[in-house]
Amino acid sequence: MGTRIDGLEGGRRAFLQAIGAGVLANAALVPLAWAAETKTLRAAITGYTVIGTLDPAVVKSISESMTLWAIFNALVKFDEKMTIVPDLAESWAVDGNAWTFKLKKGVKFHDGSEMTADDVKFSLERLRDPKTESPYKSKLDAVASIDIVDPYTVKITTKEPFAPLLTFLTNTRTGTQIVPRKAVEAMGAKEFGQKPVGTGPFKFVEYIPGQKIVLEAHKEYFVQSEPKVDRAEIALVAQETSAVNAILAGNMDLSSSAPFADVPALKKNAKIKVSSMVGLNYRYMELNNKQAPFDDVHFRRAVSMAFDRQSLVEVVLFGEGAPANGLIPPGIPAAYDTTPRKTNTFDPDAAKAELKKSKHPASMPVTVVTFGSSWWKRWAEVFVDQVNNTLGTQLKVEVTDDNGARTRIYANNIQAAVWGYLGFIDPDEYMYEICHTKGSRNNRGYSNPELDKLLEGARREMDVAKRGALYKKAEAIVAEDVPVISCFSNNAHNLWAPRVSGFVPLPYSAFGSQFGGVSLSS
Amino acid sequence: MLQFLRYLGQRVGGAIATVFAGAIAVFLIMKAAPGDPAMFVLGDFATQQSIAAFRARHSLDQPVLTQLWLWLETVLAGNLGESVSLYAGRDIAQLIGQRMPSTAFLGIYALLLALVSSLVLGTVAALQRGRTADAAVTLFAVVGISMPDFWLGYVLVLAFALTLGWLPAYGFTPPGESLTGALVTGLLPALAIAAPLAAVFSRILRVSLLETVERDYVTAARSMGYNEAFIFINYVLRNALIPFVTIVGLQVRYLLGGVVVIERIFGVPGIGSLMVDAAFARDYAVVQACALTFLVIVLTVNLIVDLVCVLLDPRRSH
Repeated sequence: MGTRIDGLEGGRRAFLQAIGAGVLANAALVPLAWAAETKTLRAAITGYTVIGTLDPAVVKSISESMTLWAIFNALVKFDEKMTIVPDLAESWAVDGNAWTFKLKKGVKFHDGSEMTADDVKFSLERLRDPKTESPYKSKLDAVASIDIVDPYTVKITTKEPFAPLLTFLTNTRTGTQIVPRKAVEAMGAKEFGQKPVGTGPFKFVEYIPGQKIVLEAHKEYFVQSEPKVDRAEIALVAQETSAVNAILAGNMDLSSSAPFADVPALKKNAKIKVSSMVGLNYRYMELNNKQAPFDDVHFRRAVSMAFDRQSLVEVVLFGEGAPANGLIPPGIPAAYDTTPRKTNTFDPDAAKAELKKSKHPASMPVTVVTFGSSWWKRWAEVFVDQVNNTLGTQLKVEVTDDNGARTRIYANNIQAAVWGYLGFIDPDEYMYEICHTKGSRNNRGYSNPELDKLLEGARREMDVAKRGALYKKAEAIVAEDVPVISCFSNNAHNLWAPRVSGFVPLPYSAFGSQFGGVSLSS
Repeated sequence: MLQFLRYLGQRVGGAIATVFAGAIAVFLIMKAAPGDPAMFVLGDFATQQSIAAFRARHSLDQPVLTQLWLWLETVLAGNLGESVSLYAGRDIAQLIGQRMPSTAFLGIYALLLALVSSLVLGTVAALQRGRTADAAVTLFAVVGISMPDFWLGYVLVLAFALTLGWLPAYGFTPPGESLTGALVTGLLPALAIAAPLAAVFSRILRVSLLETVERDYVTAARSMGYNEAFIFINYVLRNALIPFVTIVGLQVRYLLGGVVVIERIFGVPGIGSLMVDAAFARDYAVVQACALTFLVIVLTVNLIVDLVCVLLDPRRSH
């Protein structure tokens, strides 16, 4: 049949030639377009796609925080050694319940107005006002009053000595960034969240949903040498791999994270710089302490001793992390507990012995909820496999998404689930919030009055070393009770292109707060 | 003509019923899954009180059927409602309006790439049946159908962005901002979507051409002494296009599905990524609106396909 329509031969050839010419023409069009502009910093926040608001008092997601850290300052901040240093405050003094902050003079908001004590009082009292509906309200529950001493001096008085206060006044996930009273009152809170005005190195320009946030340099920034670029564009990139590719291809300068599996290969690649350090985060197995089988401390201890945390780090995080020895991560050295704890150590015999003491049999069906894909899923799978191998238990994995898992954990509608928190810096945020009877992250029905008393005391202890010792005592109690099963802290990563200099990685996911010091070569 | 209009009327009526049935099904399935828009909005700082307040404010504490009725009321009033969690407070019609051009552009771009290449490949394969060219097209088709689009997306990035440096690895310029920008930044995502389509299309066209070529009316035409080009265009190609057009229409569903994945890999601000984000945020009304949009597109395309088939073969309106 083919031969009979061979008459078309000539026409076909011409057609194919035309197509070929088209392809070549396209290829010629392509290369010129993305010569990078030297003065625009292009940063990627990975794993998130949406910004809801940039009002510091009401932001919730880490992606929103990362963006606003470039726009705002707080009274104090952490340096790269995790020491608290001045930011908007020039100095501070604490005397019992009274904290006095001396403010820097001549600090300008993006709208040109000067930042004074009045703005500080307004910003902090906003958080405390129930009408603001701030998720950070409880961070300032200990505060009795905020007074203006003079335009450059603020006095914060607490009801009783409250050690975490200084951490809660840093430019972190605390809501305590300083906003201009006049601008907020003129716009209203909702509009302010869409058009934020701060004192930070970058001014907000626009947010293009689904694409990027555009910022421009704040020319009157109080740190004279910063910012070092004219603009910053922050893209919200769903897939970590896309951000890696974009940096390698020269379309992106910075990324807020890296896929664990790729870190070793990326470290050898000259086209990209990688930072990796033990992060300030805590990953653990959330347990329903009110329901079988985890209502029984022996069952909880047995499972906690039935898997190897180091191999979890190797397999789940490709070695990019550290096994947990308790709730408080190694990034908080003063409170980090190095005493080996029996229940946080893999010991098959001890685990089996504990299981024998349990009122629940090994054969009891147990569901471990996990979510998404990537390492969260792998973590649950490896954990379940190890525990079942050690104890002959019947754990199985149930996969949902982040939202489904969160809904169920907050309603205590689980038996067990992988979970964790990121970006918290004070030991109180881990120990008190997760394990105190009234802790905001304790939905599991765990309560130990002895531990509660200890944690309340730790809040009042102003001496860093003594306070740290109290948290280590708390770790000992938690290691006995095993209300949750501590697993690991994962490393914090940043990636950047070789043309970037001055980016200082920090362990607490401070992405955004370092943009001021970043410069770009062509 | 009357017959044709009646046919059109039946089809449009059926399509509207399908759109509503589909939207209600999506709503019920979404509601059956665990999750809560309050969790997206309140995140790490949710408390029992703030969750309850949020749910009351957005009628999420009402029975499911009441919520469905509230939504239907809004839609029947000619409105898509407001986003609750994803872009809290924003008008959904506006959100979709902003995203539509990117998705439409990418879909049409991919479809055109697939159509042009499959017309060429399918015809070449049919004309060269059994020869090397045919085998090459078959090989392309098998590979094209077997490759997942997200994987192909990354392979294209590896080749054209990382190795050759011709195209950007990430980011998309919407057509409203710059048409040239959209054509260039959209090329890799469009190729990733187009390749599997082209593979299917070229196979269908090849088979269809070969079948048609053997039909009696082609032999009859040839016996009347028409030249081969005339016969090919008016007798072979025209009739072979009917199954081809039908398949193209059916694949629009794939196109929309493929767009969702590819949009996320390349950062295209389209309806697909809006829908995925909304599903994770449990922003029911936004998911509903995206589903409605997709349903309308699929049914419109199917309708157009059927009408084109009627034009190609008038007997079909009976």
